[in-house]
Amino acid sequence: MCAAKWSKRGFRGDREHSSRTGIARPNNVETNFYHAYASINQKLAQGGKIRYGEDEASVLPRAPRPLRIPRIGLYTGSGTSHSWLWFVELFDRMLFHDIVFLNEDMVKDGALKNLDVFAMSGGDTIRIAEGLDTKGAAELEAFIRKGGLYVASCAGAYLPLKSSKQYLDRFNFVDIKIANLSKTRPEIKRLASKATTAYGCDYVYHAVREDVLLRLTGRSPFTGVSTFLAPLYGGPSMITDNTSEVLAYYAGFTDKTQFLVNESLAQKTLIGRVAAAKTGMGDGNLYLFGPHFEHPHFPMANHLVATAIFWDMKKDRENREISEDEIILEGAAKDKLVRDIKREISNARIVSVGLEAVPIQWSIGCKIYEPEKIRVFLEAIWKRIDNLERLRRIRLQNKADEQLVDCACKVKRILRELKARIDDCLETQDIASDLFDSLRRLTMGFLQIYFNSFRCNI
Amino acid sequence: MDYLSSNKILIVDLETGQISEDDLDDELVGRKIGGVGITSSLYQTHKDKEPIVLGTGLLTGTMFPASALGVVSAKSPRTGNLAHAPFTLKAGMELKYTGFDYVVILGRSPKPVFLWLHDGVADIQDASDLWGADVWATTDSIRRAMGDDLIQTLAIGPAGESGSDLAQVCINYWASGDCWGFGKLFGEKNLKAVALRGMGLLEISEPEDFVDQCFDVFDKIKGGAFAGRRGIEDILSEMGEKDASEWLAPFIHRHSACYNTPYSTNTFVYLNEDSKTLTEPVEPEPGFLINDPCALLAFKRAGFSAQNACRVLKACSKYGIDPAAVAELCEKSGQKDTEKIEQSFSDLKGPVAIPDGGKFSSWSPAQPLFSDFGVSDRSAYLAWWTRRQAVAYLFGIHPIFVNMSPELSEELMIEMFNKGTGLELSQESLDTVIDDVCS
Repeated sequence: MCAAKWSKRGFRGDREHSSRTGIARPNNVETNFYHAYASINQKLAQGGKIRYGEDEASVLPRAPRPLRIPRIGLYTGSGTSHSWLWFVELFDRMLFHDIVFLNEDMVKDGALKNLDVFAMSGGDTIRIAEGLDTKGAAELEAFIRKGGLYVASCAGAYLPLKSSKQYLDRFNFVDIKIANLSKTRPEIKRLASKATTAYGCDYVYHAVREDVLLRLTGRSPFTGVSTFLAPLYGGPSMITDNTSEVLAYYAGFTDKTQFLVNESLAQKTLIGRVAAAKTGMGDGNLYLFGPHFEHPHFPMANHLVATAIFWDMKKDRENREISEDEIILEGAAKDKLVRDIKREISNARIVSVGLEAVPIQWSIGCKIYEPEKIRVFLEAIWKRIDNLERLRRIRLQNKADEQLVDCACKVKRILRELKARIDDCLETQDIASDLFDSLRRLTMGFLQIYFNSFRCNI
Repeated sequence: MDYLSSNKILIVDLETGQISEDDLDDELVGRKIGGVGITSSLYQTHKDKEPIVLGTGLLTGTMFPASALGVVSAKSPRTGNLAHAPFTLKAGMELKYTGFDYVVILGRSPKPVFLWLHDGVADIQDASDLWGADVWATTDSIRRAMGDDLIQTLAIGPAGESGSDLAQVCINYWASGDCWGFGKLFGEKNLKAVALRGMGLLEISEPEDFVDQCFDVFDKIKGGAFAGRRGIEDILSEMGEKDASEWLAPFIHRHSACYNTPYSTNTFVYLNEDSKTLTEPVEPEPGFLINDPCALLAFKRAGFSAQNACRVLKACSKYGIDPAAVAELCEKSGQKDTEKIEQSFSDLKGPVAIPDGGKFSSWSPAQPLFSDFGVSDRSAYLAWWTRRQAVAYLFGIHPIFVNMSPELSEELMIEMFNKGTGLELSQESLDTVIDDVCS
């Protein structure tokens, strides 16, 4: 199969192809997806009634059902990388503000019961499975069987695939095979640390990174467009049987595609294989995306994530009561909390910017972390502090303010120690691991307050 | 203020530890423009509490050429009057990006502290461990504690702590334009340093026009009268020391410019290593950055070798003492032994000459450089220089570079101010403010 190539100016070699396929390029129409979903969510939050495909909801397929705000759980537990922040960006831009950030303990404690949707992005699949363990797997299965929607990309897409490997064998929900699996380690052209992962006696290999071209099959609800782009960072190429619906195939490479193995193996591994699939389980569904459909630079892929959420979210969820443990901060107390967070995040950010000039990386689990990743977490907070400051009220769990500021102080302290150790040419691996874990907790804690607070200011 | 500004005036009372913020009103900007116009106004407002006021011009930190200036305004221990000291290198720009346009420091802290300004946050930090440290050690300690080597400091050394009228507020490790004894005021307030770091952004009213015109002006300036000249030695040469280049040449390692400044007004000399080496230095302190042309000139005229002049300049910066004043006292006493000069710092006392030009620092040579600006009569230099400095200190332009570039006219600065801020400043208003700050 010949792979079409997409460049900044259009397809390489076959310009007409782009118009034939109706490929959606980044433009104002795509950017307006965010506005369209934001309008839906805003109207629903204000108590408005909308039906699928009608009026403000014309971005969605038509159906004789009323829309409601989805309550979405986002997995941020151990084993996750920074890519869950891309889901955060998508949710924030589209005003999906009923978000619950979940770690493995919360999943095991039954937090999925209150959700319509559970989203999982990238990371180290085995560590994620290990963290969730048998109890987490059972909770996830029960959630989906009772009508919940599981939306996942990359590591989150590998998780429910059939596997006999320890920890993963608890999540054998879907009869889909991994196409990028090999008995022998293929010859690697570049980025060796990101190109393969041991998988039992086999190897999962990642043929390419960055943008790939995908072709939709036209199955509902992914209709109205033929091809689009999304970035691949280690996600699966899949082989489905007739129990799953294929939503999209890998269709080509682009000028931005980085080949980690030779091009012919990459073609064989990806082109014509399944990039996105939907599988039913009990009353619920799983949407599995090899590429990161939630990546913020890909509006069309983001639109498909939002469509999936609205289309297949749990149909009958009871409204959640506000926890008695929640408090509202206003006035000086709110200002003080924002100022305290701002102080510590600024201090941490200043150190992290300086670290980006240092040629260092850390191996945590089976993932490689560079200093640039530190700021990805901090910027996710920093860019939202002013919004939080402008809100009249902040809603949070009792003591969450103290915990958040303590965690921010800890991140700052670790970063300063890390910088001092680097200056003194000392080992940093041990504290780097602690740093990324603390960053994850800090960001999760902040964002939970951020999203909760939006809902109490409507 | 919506544009070219963080819209914040910070007020810090070191005595009570209280920190508050005021908005920077368009009305105040309309009346006083910025820079020393507003620092002077804030000084008058808080006069009873012995304020030290830090500020920037509205063009500081922008893409406008030479927009490197920050300013300290306070009552000079050496004159008893309000005076202004420029701070350049990257410190003026960094203050702008901390998220504060102006900082008013009041009262005396009960214990040694430093003020840490970052991203719109102001923290009073304990500096007990820093008290007694020289300027270099102070900057090193602050940078290490805060975990960032790009932090800019305005710091004092032992001279400021001991209450010398000659004490200088230094920039990082180097000298500044403080010829007013402001280092003593820092010491009296138990303020060891102000540390600056910010990663903020500036909004521009007409961004495309503003940026395009900045590039145009830059291109025009670079082909100007100073083209082909560089470093402090060519400034000295222009000031009449024709052999300055030969004198300093054996020690010159490199030249460097302040933020966005088209001429490198700073020269780094190697004193402990071969100045021609291009590899990383072996010595922890290989040399010194000379950024005070008048002090260097004074040592040269007093008969110092270049090496000894640079050694004394370095010692002055570590101790936090005004090198131009030290040069003047050395010339009077005839002392040329660098070790003895250094040992005498703690007892060094005036009188030293009070700078001409009223309120502006004599750190900037009181003459046109590389271009005559149409001022051929030397007797007219002082009036020309005073107005030129006032304009630089109001808008945030490097006060030495402003003497080199006639292209940076008052008309151009008004135009860029208006494009950047969306306000409508007129030449008449500028004249009024200049009269005000010079009086």
